[in-house]
Amino acid sequence: MREALFPFFNWLGHTPLAEIIRSSAALIALGEIIHLIGLVLLAGTVLMVDMAMLGFGIRRHPVARIAAELDGWAKAGLVILLVSGPLLLTSEARKCWDASFFWIKMAVLVAAIVFHFAVYRRTALADPPASRIRAGTVAVISLVLWISVALAGKMIGIYGDDLRQPGEPVDLAAAATSRTAIAPASQTGNPPTYRQVSANTAMKTKVKIQRSATEDRTSFRYQAR
Amino acid sequence: MRNSNWLFDVTETIHSLGIILVAGTIMLVDLRLLGKGLRAEPVSHVVARIVPWTLSGFALMFVTGAWLFASEATKLYRSPAFRVKLILLALVGLNALIFHLTIYRSAAEWDDVRIAPLRARIAGWCSLILWIGIIAAGRSIAYGPGYDG
Repeated sequence: MREALFPFFNWLGHTPLAEIIRSSAALIALGEIIHLIGLVLLAGTVLMVDMAMLGFGIRRHPVARIAAELDGWAKAGLVILLVSGPLLLTSEARKCWDASFFWIKMAVLVAAIVFHFAVYRRTALADPPASRIRAGTVAVISLVLWISVALAGKMIGIYGDDLRQPGEPVDLAAAATSRTAIAPASQTGNPPTYRQVSANTAMKTKVKIQRSATEDRTSFRYQAR
Repeated sequence: MRNSNWLFDVTETIHSLGIILVAGTIMLVDLRLLGKGLRAEPVSHVVARIVPWTLSGFALMFVTGAWLFASEATKLYRSPAFRVKLILLALVGLNALIFHLTIYRSAAEWDDVRIAPLRARIAGWCSLILWIGIIAAGRSIAYGPGYDG
C-alpha cells in the first residue's frame, strides 16, 4: 500500500500548491498554527466530554447535554485539522512518505475518526445515558486514540525515519524523480538527507538537526556542535 | 540537556501537546462566557470545574517551558516571537486577574444567564484572541529570526 502510493506522494509534493506553500516559511508556520488551533479545539472539547463521562469535570447536567453543546465545536476542530493537515502534507509529501510515524498517525487517525462517529458520539449523546462502565470505557478509548494521533503527529517532526530500515541509503531511482530525496553524500557529494542526519543523531554523534523554515521541507540542514 | 536530544524532544513534545490542556480547557470557559457553548451550565460551575484543569495544564507548561528555555536561553533571548509570546502570556494573566477581581465577583447575579454581561464577554474574547496569539507566537519561534543563528 505504502509503495503503491509513492507516485501519488511524489506528484503531491510537486504540485504548484506544494511549491507555493514550501516557498514561504510564513505560510508553513501559518498552516501549522491553524492545524494546532484545530487540535486544541477538537482535543479540548473531547477531553472535557471524556471527563464528564468519567464523572470528573462538568456534571450538573447529563453528559448528553454537555456533549450536544460541544459537538459542533469538536466537529469544527476536526474540519480545521482535515483541511490544514493535507495542505501541510503537500508541502512535505516526500518526507511524510519516508516517515513511519506518518503512516502510524494515518492508521490511528482513521481508527479515531471511525470510533468517534460510530461509537463515541452515540454513547456520549445517548438518552437515556449509557451505563457508567460503558461510558467510562468509551471515554478512555477515545482519549487514548486522539492522544496517540497527536503524539504520532509530533513524532513525524522529531523522528522522520523509516523505522523498518533507519538510516538506510535512499532509493536512488526514487531520488532521481524527487527533489526532496538526495543520494547519499558518499555518492554525490551532496549534503546528507534528513534520514541520514537523523540516523546520525540516533547514534549520538554531535549533529543537531536545524529546525529552520523552508529548507526543512526539502533537505534538512544540519550543524555540527 | 542541550547534549541530550531525546530529553529535549520529550520535554518539547509534552510542552507542545500540553497546549491542549491549557488553551483547550480555558477556551470552553470563554465560549461559555460568550454564550456559544455549555449554555445550560451556570458560569460559576463551568469555572469551578474547568479552571483547575487549565491551571494544572499551565503548571505543566510552565515547568516544561522553563526547562526548554534553560537549554536554549541565548537563542530565545534574541527571538522576537519568544518576546511576543511572553508579553501575550503576561496579558492573558492580567486579563484573567481583572476578570476574577471585577465582573466575576458579581457572578451570582448572572450565573444562569445564557450570555454573560458585556464585561465578561470582553474578557472571554480577550482570552480567546490572546491564546490564539500565544499558540501562533510559540509556533513561530522555530521559524523566526534569531533561532537558527
